Amino acid sequence: MTFPVLPAHELGLVVAVLIGFGFGFVLERAGFGRAPKLAAQFYGTDMTVFKVMFSAIVTAMLGLVLASTVGLADFKVVADHAASATFLLPMVAGGFLLGAGFIMSGYCPGTSFVAMASGKLDGLYTILGVIVGQVAWSEVEWRPGFAWFHNAGNFGNYYLWELFHLPAKAGPVVVALAVTAMAVGCFLGAEKLEKVLSGRADPVAMATPAGKPGRLVFAGFAAVVLVGVAGLALPSSTQARIREAPAIGQLDLARRVFDEPWRLRIVDLRALEACATRRIPGAECVPADKLGSLGLAYANPSRDLVLVGEGDLLELPPAAAAYTGRVFTLQGGWKGWETFALVQPAPLAAGALPADVELYRLRSGIRSAMTGMKAAPPPPTPVAAPAGAPRKAGGGCSG
Amino acid sequence: MERNPNKFWNPYLAGVALGLVLLSAFLVMGNGLGASGASLRFGIAALDVLAPAHVAKTAPLARAAASAHVSWLVFEILGVLLGGFVAAYTSGRLKIEVLKGPRIGTGARVALALSGGLLMGIAAKMTRGCTSGQALSGGALLSVGSWAFMFSVFGGGYALAWFMRREWR
Repeated sequence: MTFPVLPAHELGLVVAVLIGFGFGFVLERAGFGRAPKLAAQFYGTDMTVFKVMFSAIVTAMLGLVLASTVGLADFKVVADHAASATFLLPMVAGGFLLGAGFIMSGYCPGTSFVAMASGKLDGLYTILGVIVGQVAWSEVEWRPGFAWFHNAGNFGNYYLWELFHLPAKAGPVVVALAVTAMAVGCFLGAEKLEKVLSGRADPVAMATPAGKPGRLVFAGFAAVVLVGVAGLALPSSTQARIREAPAIGQLDLARRVFDEPWRLRIVDLRALEACATRRIPGAECVPADKLGSLGLAYANPSRDLVLVGEGDLLELPPAAAAYTGRVFTLQGGWKGWETFALVQPAPLAAGALPADVELYRLRSGIRSAMTGMKAAPPPPTPVAAPAGAPRKAGGGCSG
Repeated sequence: MERNPNKFWNPYLAGVALGLVLLSAFLVMGNGLGASGASLRFGIAALDVLAPAHVAKTAPLARAAASAHVSWLVFEILGVLLGGFVAAYTSGRLKIEVLKGPRIGTGARVALALSGGLLMGIAAKMTRGCTSGQALSGGALLSVGSWAFMFSVFGGGYALAWFMRREWR
């Protein structure tokens, strides 16, 4: 991660002045140093406040999301550093209070500084009020009776993607795209509303029309949404391409070869001669470099694909990853299979655990079935078979 | 440069420009933009003159006085004043005056500015940031509290707008 830079103290203060300069300059040029223009937001005749704020939020948000996507920054790290924790109750209550103060003074705290810098005395008085209010609340916020309210609804650092239960990695991107799409819709609505409301002869209405630059911004945001959604759709298929195929154990595969071979598609990736000599029953001999010719991406996904290599498959061939059904790799590959299923297991010592005995019986059975050799006589069963019910004749050669 | 006090930047382009400023603050300083932290620090400075020992005894004030984040905001606000001044001067809007609607006197307007500021000061301390720090910066960072705050601000403004119409219309 490269950002945030976090320059050393002195340099940081110089940068702070520079960034503040940009902040103040843009606010003034947008008209935020003039109370009547700001207040017009709440009469619907001039939605400049909304337009500037929302497009600024979208721009900064998309920029940070982009920086995170290419790995220059981490959205959550920056957010944890720069955003305050969520205290829901005081934030909602304080929000209403601040909105009320906004329409009374005509400024918010930030714009009152710009107003003061451009000589507006109402801005200066607003700042004085803000300072007194802040000090007053600081006096009481930690005292009994106020502290519970001041700290009510503490969610810590809490983000919209967490609110909507989105995954931490894709969450910021998804929410950012949704906010951007919402912004474009709201901008179009704001333009319409202004047109309707300023149709009435209004001396104070002085909205700046969106015009060509505005439409350009709409189109830019809309394009970002489209590209972003396409980008979100693509990674899911690239993820599929680099997905990890789970390994299937030899015993599980053997069971399935006997029990439900019609739900398996075993592909042996070894050299053709080796595969032709000996292979797992039902396996297709397809050398790894010919795998693409199977057209697995379009094959019926109802069967589980099992890939058999010489040993463990280190990476999933892309042609197999494109298969839309489930994909497994055989644990240990052909070598593992050979030692498991084609070699007679070592006889058990007396007093072996019942589980080992069971495994021994299974492996002997599998071996005899796979190699066509008669099974070694099973070791004596540790528990006497229940008498009574006639034993079902089945399966084995001795039946 | 042409100076027309009634000519403003296109709001959307201004928004994108503001967004880029905010983005550079995120990426360089790891901080968002803000304002109310700085005004609190000015209040603390005033208190230090009036009642020197008081700040150290009041935990929230002492915390703000020592906060590095607030120091960044103080210098950022110095920049805001500078930038606002230059922009106002170059656009012909630099003028000592009281801005108000046509139907209200200067005294009433100043009183409303002062009391509105007072409410906002209380609110900004309560919400851990104002429209710049909480709504703008926190909103861009997708903080839940910031978005709740933002909707509340607009709610509060619209709720009171009808009662304040004589001040502006």
